[in-house]
Amino acid sequence: MEEITEVKRKALEIARNIADHIKRGDFPEIEYPPNTQSNIAFDEEIGYTFDPKNYSKIRGSRVKSLKTLAGVLYGLSRALDHLESGLTMTKRDFYYVHKVERLKGTLFPQDQRETDSRIVLMELILGMPREAFSITSDPRGWIYGDIELIDRSGRVLRADQVGEMGYSVPPRPENIKFKRIGVKAVIAIEKVGPAKNMIELGIPEEYKIAIAILQGQASRSMRRFLRMLSDEGVPIAILTDLSPWSLRIAATVIYNSINSAHIPHLASPEARFIGILTDDVENGFFKDYQFALEPLTPADLKAAQDNLYLPNLQAEFWQKENRWFLEKKKKAEIEIFKAMSPSAKKLKELFLEYLREKLDEHLGISI
Amino acid sequence: MSDKVELEEISAADFFYRNKSLAGFDNSVRATYTIVRELVENALDAAEIAERPPKVEIILKEFREKKTGSLPWYKIVVADNGVGLGPEEIPRAFGRVFVSSKYRLVQSRGTFGLGGTMALLYGQITTSMPFKIISARLREPVYEITMNIDIKRNEPVVLDRKILKGISRSSFTIVESYFEGNYPRAKKKIVEYLHQTAIVVPYADISFLDPEGNLYVFPRSTDVMPERPKESLFHPKGVDLELLQRLIESTNTRTLKSFLVRHFQRVGEKTAKEVLKLAGLPPDKNPSKLTKEEISSLFHALKTYTKFLPPDPSVLSPLGADLFESGIRKELQPEFVKAVQRPPSVYEAHPFIVETAIAYGGQIRATGEIQLYRYANRIPLLYDVSSDVSYHIIKRIDWSNYGIKSPEDEPIVFFVHIVSTKVPFKTVGKEFIANVPEVAREIELGLRICARDLRLFLSRKRRKELLKRRYELFKIYYQIIAETLEELLGERPPIENLLHRLRVDIGEEYGGDNRGEEESS
Repeated sequence: MEEITEVKRKALEIARNIADHIKRGDFPEIEYPPNTQSNIAFDEEIGYTFDPKNYSKIRGSRVKSLKTLAGVLYGLSRALDHLESGLTMTKRDFYYVHKVERLKGTLFPQDQRETDSRIVLMELILGMPREAFSITSDPRGWIYGDIELIDRSGRVLRADQVGEMGYSVPPRPENIKFKRIGVKAVIAIEKVGPAKNMIELGIPEEYKIAIAILQGQASRSMRRFLRMLSDEGVPIAILTDLSPWSLRIAATVIYNSINSAHIPHLASPEARFIGILTDDVENGFFKDYQFALEPLTPADLKAAQDNLYLPNLQAEFWQKENRWFLEKKKKAEIEIFKAMSPSAKKLKELFLEYLREKLDEHLGISI
Repeated sequence: MSDKVELEEISAADFFYRNKSLAGFDNSVRATYTIVRELVENALDAAEIAERPPKVEIILKEFREKKTGSLPWYKIVVADNGVGLGPEEIPRAFGRVFVSSKYRLVQSRGTFGLGGTMALLYGQITTSMPFKIISARLREPVYEITMNIDIKRNEPVVLDRKILKGISRSSFTIVESYFEGNYPRAKKKIVEYLHQTAIVVPYADISFLDPEGNLYVFPRSTDVMPERPKESLFHPKGVDLELLQRLIESTNTRTLKSFLVRHFQRVGEKTAKEVLKLAGLPPDKNPSKLTKEEISSLFHALKTYTKFLPPDPSVLSPLGADLFESGIRKELQPEFVKAVQRPPSVYEAHPFIVETAIAYGGQIRATGEIQLYRYANRIPLLYDVSSDVSYHIIKRIDWSNYGIKSPEDEPIVFFVHIVSTKVPFKTVGKEFIANVPEVAREIELGLRICARDLRLFLSRKRRKELLKRRYELFKIYYQIIAETLEELLGERPPIENLLHRLRVDIGEEYGGDNRGEEESS
């Protein structure tokens, strides 16, 4: 509720400012810090941060930005309306609230990109993530393990007792409070299949670890949730494929991304990327299983080339990992465990052996 | 004359009869158009000589239907409000193909100096019908004379003479004639000719009832007429050997010196002496005693003497920018029109004045072609536009400098009017102007001056449109903003103040008065 008040306060402040200008016969303006490169800083220790030095103005005196100004105001009015009614909307919904009869010829959008970019603008103007003003994504990401939390409705939930995949991380995890954390670490896993296997094999319960299922690139809500756990002192380990994309997945959990750099508290700089690393394939755990590697697709290769220039991958570690793709043109997937042994019993041993080695090496945790 | 003479002397009428194409009668379509044109020019001249705004009525009717192997016959009636002619003048004025014996120089309208007589002659040749002239001077009887022309002898033959009315309360002339022609195919050109004439003679009332029953009316837009041209002497550089010989034959001066001073402009005693010295002729020699060789050396001296002042342009009668614009406005109803009269200039000792105009927008439509109206001595030129020097100049100018992407695809019409004692036509057909550098230069300068005004007009217009579009856009966006603010704050801010600011911006373009008020308030 506090948050609603804050959004409302800011939105009405903007509205009043515009109204005052109009009453005086002046053209209204909205000042905001744009998410341009000059306003985004990167620091290995804390990830991407938004550090506004330059401000832009949306001017009601210019044809082009007048549409933006009207759009932002309209967007805020829709957001407040939803917020006060306790409704959320997706980006697609937000696009549709512009596809109304009376906006034809003005704010009626050509496609969703138009309204999507307006959402980012609203985030920058309000200084809040869109989830705060009711625009959420479909939830993606689960956490399974011995963690007791209190959700926004006030219910106490245990993350290993709410379904096969655990607790589905809500779009706006800010409201969650941790009641008790009974795990030594959280392992954030890119892929659903291997993560589910670990749960099915009883590893979380037996070894007091939690499994966070990312399902690809970690959603903003998942990243925020991991950061909250990290802030609670829980060590975070990241387990992904060995591929150019997975480098980005790991780096985004640790450093946040350029696109959401203006949203604070999404980076978990304490998190450690434990695997799969090139060394695992070259000299380590999987060195005898190089036959199970996959070739890079052209898209993979292109991603590896782009990785050369991403600000959050400039450290020697990331560049060394990335060079391996460019040289070997191969990748490894977490499913490689199945290639080591098709037997279910053996699988658990292999998982444990790998996790033990890695958690110890990167986080100093023994299980 | 002996039987052995091979050269046959023929009359001017006979000459015309044998060389119809020279005068624009080469086929029935062209002849139909030329007849209308010649009679209308005659009628306009008659009123202009009387210094009254012309009122010309034309009726063209089918007189005998088309038969196999022959074209229809038409009856043409052209009435004017000129001074009118007396009974003895009529046969002379209409009954002879007129060979110019003018020894004085003046700008005249008739393309060939032969007036409507050739038109009447053509009718006589094709139908063997006599023609009829009805005319009256003010407060004199109205005469009706039926006549034809003796082609061989080039003389009028009066067949009948009647007095229709004792006293006429107005002066007028009506010409009635019959000819074999082809109106359906000439129609477009005739109507176009009248339309273009109405532009260049905006002080004339012209109406035309055609054989199909269509009535075309071109009312005058003004009573103001341009000044009549003044007659003047020939400029020594503007005469040819033939004319010089005729002047010498007819002069009654006694010495060469006084001959030159009396018959030429820009020649005083001193100049005459210098010219004769150059010719090697004694100043007091009697002109009638000159030999062929001596005439030739006098002619040569006139051509080579370099110190004559340029010819006197007062013989010219241009239309003037105001009348030109008035005519264009009434016939084309453009949004913009600008006419320019260039100062007098000279080519080959012939004075000339170029008038140009540009009209844009309004009722004018783009046609995909350059729209160019050309006039020579107030007569529209309707043929061979793409050979005309003006056409090439328009093609050559980069119109994008003047805010026009392509003159073919925009509602723009160009006008070029040349008045001269000798219009530099390229061919004997007299339908287009040759590329004479002095003339071309004036045409281009004139068009460019008009174009500069057009550019200013267009940029103002476009800027105004831009501001107007901006205003409309702002209006709808601020309406949305106001509605949204009402929803958020429960109060709708008045957007009128803001919009007023924009409206003032638009007004500024033409008014400008509001601005100071706005700033001080």
